[in-house]
Amino acid sequence: MTMVAFENVTLRYGERVILENFSLRVKKRERLVIFGPSGSGKTTILRMVAGFVAPERGTVSIADRPVSADGRILVPPEKRGVGMVFQDLALWPHMSVEENVGFGLMVRKVPKMERKRRVEEILELVGLKGFGSQNPSDLSGGEQQRVALARALILEPDVLLMDEPLSSLDRPLAEHLAHEIVRLQKRVGFTLLYVTHLEEEAAIIGTRRLTIRKHTSSSQTSRPEIF
Amino acid sequence: MKKRDLIIGLIILVVAFLIYWNTAEEPEISRPVVVVYVSEDRVFSEPILKAFEKETGIEVRAVYDTEEAKSTGVMNRLIAEKRNPQADVYWANEPIRAEVLKQKGISTPYVSKNAKEIPALFKDPDGYWTGFSARARVLVVHDGIREKPDSILAYTDRKWKNRSVIANPLFGTTTAHIAALFEVWGEDRADAFMRAMKRNGVALSTSNGESADLVASGRYAFSLVDSDDAINRIRQGRPVSMVYPDQAPGGLGCFIVPNAAVLIKGAPHPQEARKLIDYLLSKETERRLAFADCAQIPLHPGVAMPKELKPIDAIRVMEVDYAGVAKKLIEIQPLLKRWVME
Amino acid sequence: MRLFTGVIAILFLGLTLLPVGAMVWQTFASGTIASHFDELFLSAQAWKLLRHTILLATLVTLLTTLVGVPLGILMGKTDLPLRPLFVFLFLVPLLLPPYIVAVAWNDLLIMAGFGSGTLSGLGGSLFVLFCVYLSVPTLMTILFLRTVPPSLEEAGRLCAPWPSVLRYVTLPMILPGILLSAMIVFLLSLGELSVPIYLHYEVYAVESFTQFTAFYRFDTATATALPLILVALVMTMAENRFLKKRTATFRHFAGSDTFLRISLGFKRYPLFLAAAFLASVVTILPMTALALEAGDFHHLAEAFLASHDALLRSLLYAAAGATLLTFFGFLLGYTLLKRPFRCAGALDPVAIFLFTLPGTVVAIAMIFFWNRPFAQIVYATPLIVLLGYLAKYSALTGRISLARLSMIPASMEEAAQMAGADWSQRLRHILLPLTADAIAGAWVVAYLFILRDVDLTILLYPPGEDTLPVRIFTMMANGSPELVASLCLIMATVTLLPAAAAWGVFVRKRRRK
Repeated sequence: MTMVAFENVTLRYGERVILENFSLRVKKRERLVIFGPSGSGKTTILRMVAGFVAPERGTVSIADRPVSADGRILVPPEKRGVGMVFQDLALWPHMSVEENVGFGLMVRKVPKMERKRRVEEILELVGLKGFGSQNPSDLSGGEQQRVALARALILEPDVLLMDEPLSSLDRPLAEHLAHEIVRLQKRVGFTLLYVTHLEEEAAIIGTRRLTIRKHTSSSQTSRPEIF
Repeated sequence: MKKRDLIIGLIILVVAFLIYWNTAEEPEISRPVVVVYVSEDRVFSEPILKAFEKETGIEVRAVYDTEEAKSTGVMNRLIAEKRNPQADVYWANEPIRAEVLKQKGISTPYVSKNAKEIPALFKDPDGYWTGFSARARVLVVHDGIREKPDSILAYTDRKWKNRSVIANPLFGTTTAHIAALFEVWGEDRADAFMRAMKRNGVALSTSNGESADLVASGRYAFSLVDSDDAINRIRQGRPVSMVYPDQAPGGLGCFIVPNAAVLIKGAPHPQEARKLIDYLLSKETERRLAFADCAQIPLHPGVAMPKELKPIDAIRVMEVDYAGVAKKLIEIQPLLKRWVME
Repeated sequence: MRLFTGVIAILFLGLTLLPVGAMVWQTFASGTIASHFDELFLSAQAWKLLRHTILLATLVTLLTTLVGVPLGILMGKTDLPLRPLFVFLFLVPLLLPPYIVAVAWNDLLIMAGFGSGTLSGLGGSLFVLFCVYLSVPTLMTILFLRTVPPSLEEAGRLCAPWPSVLRYVTLPMILPGILLSAMIVFLLSLGELSVPIYLHYEVYAVESFTQFTAFYRFDTATATALPLILVALVMTMAENRFLKKRTATFRHFAGSDTFLRISLGFKRYPLFLAAAFLASVVTILPMTALALEAGDFHHLAEAFLASHDALLRSLLYAAAGATLLTFFGFLLGYTLLKRPFRCAGALDPVAIFLFTLPGTVVAIAMIFFWNRPFAQIVYATPLIVLLGYLAKYSALTGRISLARLSMIPASMEEAAQMAGADWSQRLRHILLPLTADAIAGAWVVAYLFILRDVDLTILLYPPGEDTLPVRIFTMMANGSPELVASLCLIMATVTLLPAAAAWGVFVRKRRRK
């Protein structure tokens, strides 16, 4: 089953062509690494899936449902069932870890007790048990990364988008976390779109790799799973 | 989070309290109200309006203005509000503004029973405004001067070359006074007078008050000012005296600037407005204004007044049509501007 | 979001720009401009006034910038002792109605044995407005110094001493901020009315008043204000074109730990004395003069009793106005940042334009527009005053909100969106808490600007419901000097106490960080 699909998508910012006639299919439970130099439009692809950017021409679909097409957002980000970990993590500094992670449940008016239970559950899953009442700014880089992951996962998204989430961490920690992400994905079963410019990360994460060169042309390479 | 909530809560509380405090004083039953716009200095007019409020139980809502500061909020408002008047009464501090309101169709006639004894000169013949408590345009003279000038012609007398001062004629009562000279003397003579004054080295001050101070300090021998400016300096014990100019038989006479009460056309509270005008035109108001610091001359006969003042019938007053003065005042504006700038 | 911000934008434009536009259009339509063209634009008098106005505004701008920028560097970049106190002292005159500074210095000169006319004309107006607006370039310099990335200065310090680094690295970096502050000072002194009136210096703004005094002709007065409107328009466009991109949003903002501070060493003694001298001229001496003139406690108590109602209303208007302005300002800032609909960007120049218009012009436009039988609920109540404030001061709260909002990474809001929060939830749970400091700051700024306002309020207050600055202004004519000084002192106290408290909190918070 195809989870995310781009069909003949074109996007330009002024004169600059970001994508032209770009097509892509990502299967369910696949881990796609989007690989390429900075400024090549990797992030833009994620933002189109998330619903912050609409393609100028072409269609983006999630689970066979068109979510944006020809310059229009058909389904707003909050209704796409997509989770995202941002490059800067975007943890809200005025909320505790618990509040950060539980925010999505709160706005959905999930009762407090259930909210608490599910937050604890997911914190345990990412290895942050007992960190709930802390402030994100008091945590280490790796811990903050896990908070962001927990927050993205708590709504049980079908698709998880990760935009260079490990770029600010040192190499050994980043590799360790990359392995953990893979483990988590296997356990939970979401479809992962992962942007990076680091060969090592790409090698660990991806079941498939999409390499983007500057501007238009794109090539898809299928890679066997590493593990 | 907690602290922030507390601060927001406090702000809301304070605002609510202020609103409560501000509205709590409003009486339960609606009191009769009169809205008055005032150009007379607030220091003098407010006590009168407060007394009216106390005596009649009619609430006075006032908008004050200050002529000395050359702000003209009240006239601006009256004109801007013409289509939908908010004011009932306008208390002008000189009749020129009242005339302008009449010409612009903003006022309406009202002849008060209290105005009977006020001389016809100080009333609009159609009742659009009625004068009361007046200032006189007088000479304030330094006490060191032996032979005191007794006419405004002293401004052109070689004897006083470089020794006289006058307030900027673009503003206030000085403008009205010069416009009155144009009205009485005619264009040519008044213009010649202005030129001669300039040739004689008259100094310009920024206000009548400053003129009086300059004379009191001995910088200049005399100046044309409002009577209250002169009387104030005398009461402060400064070395000046006050001279009513041009009092000789057949002379020009002293220019009088009365206050004027005006009923606004379409006033929202006409009954109360008439009551207030009656009150302003009463002998009692004139007495109070005579004994206040502004020392204004009562226009009713037989009103008590402080010893520095002369009763109006003892002064030879300049016979002038204030409507004509108002028209002249607008006409001579460019001329005055040139005169000041040269 | 689009709908809501759109409605807010239309509401804002309808309440503010529409009245001014209607008035200007009416003036054109009535043919006044054509018939008075010579008188308005070609006469010697008009040129003289325009010269006066521009001369005064230019001199004030030059002087405040020349003194204020070095002062800002001294206060914001060095280790001079008592810096927060000094900055507050310089800020004091800006918080008061400008004429109070004029009254205070006048009292001082008279006490010192000079004549009553010593402080007058161009020199007097320049001096008073210098005192009033000095803190604008000072504060802007302090603020923009924090936006200079420290690494750039460090790179400079490796090969040059501090003065050269300031000259070649820091100053060029904060130049847009300095230009913006110069423009603000220029515009504020251009529309300033009460000081030139009090000190008898004829400027354009005064002329548009005397048009009423002498002629009582509305259209002529509007037409007279037209050159000022044009100047305001040109300034707005220039700001939008050259400065806004570099000043309205901040990329970098240094906390105390990364901020580079100059150690003054022995030079701090003479510099301290110089700052103390300036603070005396600007604030300490005039405030002392007011206190002396007010005399004893008896006068103060009497003045308070005679004016407590006006004082109360001042506080109420300021609080209500500040709340309204903060609300609109935040949404304006948000709309400007997100551009949810086309032409959203136009809201900024509109707000700036209205800010640059003299208060009198705005007030008259409001009267024209709102004084209609069906709008009594607005015109016959304090609402009209609040709408006047909204028109005049929304640029302040709007720009403050915009600057703060632009410092928040877009991902903060996007992450909430991914978590399923709709627009109002994102606003409530993410943006408002994250910008709470700036919202409070905007509220305080709006509160203080309203509290000191005379020009607008004097034309718009409902009968019998004046504010304290207006009451003082009307009491100045022939009121006893003790009473006026006492009232000025009360005004200064109620403005400065909360301001000082807010300042104290702000400084302590920064220290803690």
